[in-house]
Amino acid sequence: MRRVLLLGIIVFLLLAGCAPRPGGRIVYGLTLAPSGIDPHVNASSELGIPLTSVYDTLVYQDPETGEFVPGLAERWEVSDDGTVYTFYLKKGVKFHDGTPFNAEAVRFNLDRITSPDLASQKARFMLGPYERTEVVDEYTVRIVLSEPFAPLLDSLSQVYLAMASPTAVEKWGDEYQLHQVGTGPFVFVEYVPGDHLLLRRNPDYSWGPPVYQHKTAQLDEVEFRFFTDPATRSPALETGEADVMGEIPPQDVARLEASPDFRVEAVALPGASLMMFMNTGRAPLDDIRVRQALLYGTDRAAIVSTIFKDTSPVAYGPLTAVTFGYDPTVQQYYPHDPERAAALLDEAGWVDTDGDGIRDRDGEPLVLDMVLMSWGYMPEIGQLLAAQWADLGVGVESRVVSYPEALEIAGNGGHHLIPFTLSGSDPDILRKFFHSQAFFNWSKVEDAELDGWLEEGARVSDKDQRVELYSQVQHRVMEEALVVPIRDYVNLNGVSERVQGLRFDGRGWFPWLIDVTLAER
Amino acid sequence: MGVGYVGRRLLSAVFVLWLAASLAFFALKLTPGDPAEALLAASGATPEEVAERRAQLGLDDPLWLQYVRYLTDLARGDLGQSWLHGRPVGRMVLEQLGPTVELAVAATGVGMALGIGLGTLAAVRRRTWVDTAATAVAVVGLSTPTYWSGLLAILFFSLHLRWFPATGEGGLRHLVLPAAVLGFALAGSIARLVRARVAEVLGSPFVLAARARGLPGRHVLFVHVLKAAAGPALAVTALQFGFLLGGAVVTETVFARRGLGRLAVEAILWRDLPVVRGVVLVGALAYVGVNLLADLLHAWLDPRLREGAS
Repeated sequence: MRRVLLLGIIVFLLLAGCAPRPGGRIVYGLTLAPSGIDPHVNASSELGIPLTSVYDTLVYQDPETGEFVPGLAERWEVSDDGTVYTFYLKKGVKFHDGTPFNAEAVRFNLDRITSPDLASQKARFMLGPYERTEVVDEYTVRIVLSEPFAPLLDSLSQVYLAMASPTAVEKWGDEYQLHQVGTGPFVFVEYVPGDHLLLRRNPDYSWGPPVYQHKTAQLDEVEFRFFTDPATRSPALETGEADVMGEIPPQDVARLEASPDFRVEAVALPGASLMMFMNTGRAPLDDIRVRQALLYGTDRAAIVSTIFKDTSPVAYGPLTAVTFGYDPTVQQYYPHDPERAAALLDEAGWVDTDGDGIRDRDGEPLVLDMVLMSWGYMPEIGQLLAAQWADLGVGVESRVVSYPEALEIAGNGGHHLIPFTLSGSDPDILRKFFHSQAFFNWSKVEDAELDGWLEEGARVSDKDQRVELYSQVQHRVMEEALVVPIRDYVNLNGVSERVQGLRFDGRGWFPWLIDVTLAER
Repeated sequence: MGVGYVGRRLLSAVFVLWLAASLAFFALKLTPGDPAEALLAASGATPEEVAERRAQLGLDDPLWLQYVRYLTDLARGDLGQSWLHGRPVGRMVLEQLGPTVELAVAATGVGMALGIGLGTLAAVRRRTWVDTAATAVAVVGLSTPTYWSGLLAILFFSLHLRWFPATGEGGLRHLVLPAAVLGFALAGSIARLVRARVAEVLGSPFVLAARARGLPGRHVLFVHVLKAAAGPALAVTALQFGFLLGGAVVTETVFARRGLGRLAVEAILWRDLPVVRGVVLVGALAYVGVNLLADLLHAWLDPRLREGAS
């Protein structure tokens, strides 16, 4: 009998011990150096990790279905011509400082974002052809565009266009980012730039979107700290200095997973895959056969397994596989086939006549100028590509430069090859890379048909039509061999086993902290 | 120490500051890359919108006008506004100054204690294994990059022994590892100089005389020899202060501490010119200030310098 009782007590303790309980605090590791964190002003993805829980947005996107669901707006209508969006707002919503949320607050926020004085680095441009906001009545507001803009709801569902307290914004002026006030499940307590950012539970929260599982936050506090040096991230997790850590280096994943105390949550990000742009405007890459040869000569699986330890999928096209509009049939293009690559180069007249291992034509060696940036494993990828292409008889000269310098070089077409990646939840992101007027048109493509599809894709709201348009874009990009896709971006989060219920929004970057609980073990 | 001496030193300090400010201004203008484009390219802004921003930042104005505007703002104590953060540079730099000074001072303490200790030990036990060992430690300190010794220190003292936290700030315990790592690097150059100086003083007539008078060895060493060696140690520390600020950049990154270093790195990467200039200026101000102080201290320690100057 005593034994049974004892067993009962043990089982009870175990169950009670493992069950998630409300309250507690966690430390969340961010990877960015001190940087501006006003979502209306600044552009980093990192700022959204804490601030998504401080603010609410008009709409939310369900990551499962991709559908938009009510946020601060309980419903909305779009005019037939796609230029007027009418939002009917929830009533009884209050900012953390007591200011009531209403149509006037929405107009104040959008006016702030679009004001030239604010010098917004991202939010302003997410609004596309925005014209103005009209207050219809206290809880009805209208956003007017000069032309249709399909990604608008997607933009409005992101923290960059979140609703801030007009009272607080006016009170703090250019120091507002240290005193942010939203309507979200957590209250912004303090931010010491570069050291930490502290959030505390908002006990009054009850107006969350249907994608949140709890009515109010379960944790009392979340403290964010910054770990810019990748090598220190896993150790900080292992010493218990952080409970969640973003952007774990791929080589640490196996070690963390082997431990019973940690897990790695890999979140695939929608957006553009990491791709090597081939400058079609500069010989010899103006010859499609040379570009195709580079694609056939690339063993992407080897790169993904060597550098990313198979933690991210191989990319076959310009969009990552989890992006709306991704066309899986791009996987047919350019399997690893060194013989075919060699044949294409022969056909283009590039043959190694002097036996130095590098092909040449008319006395010119086939050597390509590769421009790399130091982040995102680009130098490592460049090195592996150079090694693989050396087997084809193609030489690579690479240099590592800063981002602004890369923009300048590639803008002027001073490169043969340059890699880049961007995350974003709408396929309109392709317009940033393959439209003839785009900043990142680093393939130097000028294709009127491609421009037309991309412009049309940004305008039409019909989903099937958009899928069709972006499918055409993806096929054209690969047929014309504009890029060498390498991998889909995957955000590797190291998580302590005491942290339960960590979920991310549709962008894969921003956690929904309201649902996080602590398992006491 | 006459007023003339101090006045001349102050005047040259102002000159050095102006030089640093101007160098920072023009060197940054020479670096490739357009700040407006760096800020906006990924946002989906059109080329026209980027051009607008460029004009807004004053980047379209002639260089001389930008320079004059920069100097007049500076003269009024206005460091401008960060292009990346949208906040006043002066306030941003002040926020990050504290932690860097804290680290620099602690590292200087560690470096001087370790450097003078090792150097004296090596000089007193010259040409024995103690000398060799102390010199070896000094050379290792001098030649090991702090990002490497920092990681090793984290691995051993935080992860393995769990004595100190690996990263972050918050009191003395957080300061120990970064200060030790940075101080260790500083100790190398101090130790080598102190060793040479102590060895020289040990053989000098006044030490021989003190010994001949029967003063105990320890007294001679601490009162006569070390006082003579302190001056050069001070001078080298002051000169190394620039290195210390630079080393702090790396150390701050490894130990996830905030500070001027990390602020500067981010600003350089993004061509946030007002912030880079602000950090350079504050760094120059600190460097000039520390060297001024060291000169005055040195002059006080060594009467020959005072007499030569006045």
